[in-house]
Amino acid sequence: MRPSAPLAALLSAATALLPTARANAADSDEASTRASYRFSEYDEDALHGTVVGDPRRYRVLSQQLAVDTKLDGGAWGVKLDATHEVMSGSSPWFVAPDAQQRPVQVLSGATIRDHRSALSVALTQNPGASANTTYTVSYSGERDYHAAAIGAERSQPLDTATTLGYGGSFSHDLVEPTDATQYNRIAHATKNTASTFASLSWVLDRDSVLQAGVQVNLGHGYLTDPYKLFSYGADILAERRPDRRVEAAGLVRYRHSYAQIDAALHLDYRYAQDSWGLTSHTLEASWYQGLGHGWRLVPTLRWYSQSAARFYAPFLAAPAGQRFYSSDYRLGTYGAFTTSINVRKAIGRWEFSLGAERYHSAKGLALEGGSAAVPALVDSTRVWAGLDFGLD
Amino acid sequence: MRPDLLLRLACALACGAVLAACATTPVQPWERAHLARWDMRWDPDSVQTAMKQHAYFSKEGSSGTIGAAGGGCGCN
Repeated sequence: MRPSAPLAALLSAATALLPTARANAADSDEASTRASYRFSEYDEDALHGTVVGDPRRYRVLSQQLAVDTKLDGGAWGVKLDATHEVMSGSSPWFVAPDAQQRPVQVLSGATIRDHRSALSVALTQNPGASANTTYTVSYSGERDYHAAAIGAERSQPLDTATTLGYGGSFSHDLVEPTDATQYNRIAHATKNTASTFASLSWVLDRDSVLQAGVQVNLGHGYLTDPYKLFSYGADILAERRPDRRVEAAGLVRYRHSYAQIDAALHLDYRYAQDSWGLTSHTLEASWYQGLGHGWRLVPTLRWYSQSAARFYAPFLAAPAGQRFYSSDYRLGTYGAFTTSINVRKAIGRWEFSLGAERYHSAKGLALEGGSAAVPALVDSTRVWAGLDFGLD
Repeated sequence: MRPDLLLRLACALACGAVLAACATTPVQPWERAHLARWDMRWDPDSVQTAMKQHAYFSKEGSSGTIGAAGGGCGCN
């Protein structure tokens, strides 16, 4: 769509007023309206080794649109986030033992095709003030899954160097698996998740800030994956997980500015533990480097390690009455390493962004070695392109 | 390294950081130009971060960051 003549003239005038050395369209918080668009493609590598079924895994095409603006003379900030995704491919179904009791991954026979639409609205009271409150409402819908959530969070300075943050959210999710009768799946189930968090942020000096926080999630209801089966002795059963899960996480974030070379260092660490016995460590480092003339480069490294849930096993050759069992690789012991690069270019009020990310997971990347095999570990590539626009 | 040892180490680092924060000299408002930069935000690109976290959520056992959580999805 072509912009109207008055709008084009306005944009042209606004652009002409900007200094050419402006570092970044996003640098300015004064922009009363900001719009962002992202397109991304996510591709999982085909499974190697002995598999049954189509080894090609998930491919997801995503579009995101976000608009952030101020209302009532700046007394309120409103942010809309809309996402649409199209997913296709096969997913791990269950693990069967071969004649030597080695695990063989079985993938879903038919290619899954689905799409997801999500919308989130956030209202912030006094967005320009150091003390503010944000209220959020969101919805995510797929053919077989619907989630509605509300949340609120508050930021409150305690003194000139310390800021307290706290908040909570509640999500109600509805699961309605496809082909429920044909595959003897549960036809309808719900789950609820309540979350709360608290954080403290400190200004350490003129160039660095630190934040430490905790988050607790309580999940209750149908927490099982309705599409996954499990090899239980001579039987193939639907997997079973507990109907309650408590997750706790501690997070530390650090930012250091190297303004003299137009750069900043970001370090994030998270430790998480849950009532299923799963623990994880996540360490992420990013370097934001300005290159002049509006160019910016952001390389990122991330390492993730988790230990298995108590009821994880690829299969049970001789079950002993276990109540819960799952061969979902996401509950096994493994580690993952991610590398990504993001290139950004600001031109006046516009900023263009391109990025690529490679995710590699393996048992050998885990902090501790679990004995149970995890045959469906995923390697993936994600690329994205984006555009941001700010308007005073 | 055993996870409980790593956890203790992480806690010790966090406590040390907190103590370091308590011991800092106050930074005046006119000295915060570097802290106000776009690249010093906790999350400079929230739209991109949302998609990144969504991808991790779909294939990892743990999730979450500082801030109110949103709703789930059928990916996990």
